[in-house]
Amino acid sequence: MNTIPLQLQVNGEAHDVLVEPHWTLLHVLRQQLGLTGTKENCLEAECGVCTVLLDGKAVNACILLAVQCRGRTIMTIEGLGRPGRLHPLQQAFIEHGAAQCGYCIPGMLLTAKSYLDEHPGEVPDPAAVREAIAGTLCRCTGYQKIVDAIRAAATRMREPA
Amino acid sequence: MAFQVHQPESVEAAIRLAGAFGPDARFLAGGTDLIIQINRKRCAPQHLIALGGIRGLCGIEAGADAIVLGALTTHKAIERSPVFAGPLAALAEAARVVGGHQIRNIATIGGNVANASPAADLLPPLLALDASVSLAGGRGTRRLPLAQFLHGPGATDRRDDELLTSIVFARPPQRSATAFIKAGRRRAMEISIVCVAALLQLDADGSCRTVRIALGAVGPTATRAPQAEQALRGCEPTPAALQEAGRLAAAGCAPISDVRASAEYRRMLVQALVPRALQRCLQRIEAYGR
Repeated sequence: MNTIPLQLQVNGEAHDVLVEPHWTLLHVLRQQLGLTGTKENCLEAECGVCTVLLDGKAVNACILLAVQCRGRTIMTIEGLGRPGRLHPLQQAFIEHGAAQCGYCIPGMLLTAKSYLDEHPGEVPDPAAVREAIAGTLCRCTGYQKIVDAIRAAATRMREPA
Repeated sequence: MAFQVHQPESVEAAIRLAGAFGPDARFLAGGTDLIIQINRKRCAPQHLIALGGIRGLCGIEAGADAIVLGALTTHKAIERSPVFAGPLAALAEAARVVGGHQIRNIATIGGNVANASPAADLLPPLLALDASVSLAGGRGTRRLPLAQFLHGPGATDRRDDELLTSIVFARPPQRSATAFIKAGRRRAMEISIVCVAALLQLDADGSCRTVRIALGAVGPTATRAPQAEQALRGCEPTPAALQEAGRLAAAGCAPISDVRASAEYRRMLVQALVPRALQRCLQRIEAYGR
């Protein structure tokens, strides 16, 4: 199999990897870089657990070829915050009990971040939040706490630091 | 899955590769459909020609008379562009209901058009806007009306060595508006059961001057509804006239029954949604006029 040398910018670090042409970004993140916070489930862009940010925008890593990410920046859940310095979304998910079983949450947080970054200074109403996360499914509990947490984070992010 | 990926940096290089590999190659734009089709073994191209590295294929050029959309313009860019507020609203309304944000952030208008799915949501508004597609190939460039480009499910007028580079349409005329309505079982992440787009222009006396009605998911390609358009042209847009346009559009379309809906139900939806889309156009013309 012919491999392709590729430099990926992930969470602010450059990674040189050798990829096969058909490898998805999800495969490279989990198998080559050991970033298993990005989850793997439907592999057809239906469920959203593999959501990462590509140049700041939420995308499904399961159907994105790694070679398509040449020269672009990627953020995974590992890059969103650090212990002791959580992102406002992570803090709000904890405070509202929105982490639930946890499986969809990495994708949920990055889906929410992408949407809030696209609408700076806004606190979306519940219907807008539900539309924003339509591509990221929770199958364990429900969306109410997630919606509450995203709105709380939006409120906090609007306040001057 | 065994394919090679090529990453050309110019349209010319992409066309050369496509010419060399012929039917063994596929262009890769956002890949939100193609990669899934490859994973499902519905197709097995040996070469993917990735277009992401080509400059100048992306972007919305809003001129005084015409709008040009580069083939790699994403659904999200259309949805968020101020160009599609006002009389061009139908295209943004359609872009906004495709997949979730993750898909719309990467799926392109060129991919949606070139895939030629009967249920592609951007096609009815583009047909209502009387859009044309520009193709660049080994034998030069050409432009043809979208309606002629679409041949059937997944089939277009594009030759193997031709790349769809842009989509162009004229700015809608004075006293006009567009609207798009999609019917699915839920409001997001749905493939359309039926979708309807309309462009309506009124004359100074309030009668219908330009009428374009386009339907999705009720035939082998998205199509216009010529009988309904003709019946309404020159007429006052009364509720009865809009209902009649709906009836004619339903009678003139050719839906099939499949996992999503029966042919009968699709016809009922067309009959209901065509008048609703036209009514929305009327409300918008009034709102823009103020």
